[in-house]
Amino acid sequence: MNIIGPDRLIFGVDDIVACNQYLTDYGLKVVRSGPEGGLFEALDGTGVEIRAKTDPTLPPAFETANMLRETVYGVADASTLEAIEAELRKDREVKRDGAGVLHAFDDMGFAIAFQVTCRRQLTLEAEKVNAPGSLNRAVNAVATRDDEDLTPRSLSHVVYFVPDVARAEAFYVKRLGFRCTDRFTGVGPFLQPAGTQDHHTLFMIQTPPFLKGCEHFTFHMAGPSQVMQAGSRFVAKGYQSFWGPGRHRFGSNWFWYFNSPLGCHVEYDADMDLHDASWTEREVPMGADASQLFLFQSRDKWAPGGPPPK
Amino acid sequence: MGAGRPAAEVTGRSLCAVADVKDGGAKGFPAHGVFVVRRGERIDVWRDDCPHQNVPMAWRTDEYLNREGTRIVCAAHGALFDMDSGECVLGACLGDCLERVPHEMVDGAIVIRTNDKRS
Repeated sequence: MNIIGPDRLIFGVDDIVACNQYLTDYGLKVVRSGPEGGLFEALDGTGVEIRAKTDPTLPPAFETANMLRETVYGVADASTLEAIEAELRKDREVKRDGAGVLHAFDDMGFAIAFQVTCRRQLTLEAEKVNAPGSLNRAVNAVATRDDEDLTPRSLSHVVYFVPDVARAEAFYVKRLGFRCTDRFTGVGPFLQPAGTQDHHTLFMIQTPPFLKGCEHFTFHMAGPSQVMQAGSRFVAKGYQSFWGPGRHRFGSNWFWYFNSPLGCHVEYDADMDLHDASWTEREVPMGADASQLFLFQSRDKWAPGGPPPK
Repeated sequence: MGAGRPAAEVTGRSLCAVADVKDGGAKGFPAHGVFVVRRGERIDVWRDDCPHQNVPMAWRTDEYLNREGTRIVCAAHGALFDMDSGECVLGACLGDCLERVPHEMVDGAIVIRTNDKRS
């Protein structure tokens, strides 16, 4: 199934004003934002939609604190949509709405949808790094700028808490053609759909049923400097850092997670590994050393000449 | 609760004046690892530490409550807490409680004890 990745996450929230402000400050482009909800997009057109938790047109809510109500996947073409529809109709209801978007539920009850992808191909450069042996930045081109465009580039991945990770994984792998690239023992798999080489667009974590829902979602930035700069800007606006900045081992992506009013963490990530079918999945127990190569914490700026700020 | 004991009798850390906390709102004190919730004259002080993963709970400075101001929210995973008992009523730490931090009022200020090693 030529599924590329999540195009859009749809949330039904308690505090629309707070969520709209949050996603605006996070750096997404504001397509619309008002008392009834909002739509926020990355540079490639992927994004997050905010609606009221009482919106009757949303798939039903879980009986947990989760606010993610639907994950909309982008697929390569109409024939992929037909193949997904035929596959899922074998054992569950699949609805096709007026726009041709398919709607169904996975084996854990997460609402999923499929559309011909809305994402635009980006023609942009990554952060250019100079190093002895490989000079990549033009002479006189300065890497650091206060007015750097920190708009996230693309919706990277979403992470679910699930009560039966084996069954949850089997659905995505056997029915939708995802592949496991790595896994944490007793925790869950990193899953890659067939239409991308990104290390993962879905990670799942085994938890008790009362936790079921979204753990976090994240957007790809242009590189580690953008993760640092966007995260620092977010901290300066008063937002609460949860974990990071740092660099994961599985996927190698730089990360910085924040608390949010969307009922889950929201992350900035960058520079994820790519894998193809020749990659062999790794498996290690979860732990602090396994989760990151290094971890830092934001602090106030300082220059030598006096004691550092506490 | 009134103004409380006169200042000369008390040893503790003064967080802020009651008037500095919005009525129906909350205020965080990261240096002490606590947050205050005010409902009219009633003040509750809680350890800013969600029982799920022992992390700070706000999503932004001073933002600890749901939209209606009827529940405390942990903005890690959206867990909801009863504002009277501190018990988690929905979410990741169902049934666990926030830790209440004893306080007293001194000349209209909210004061927590200094012998609490985390203060």
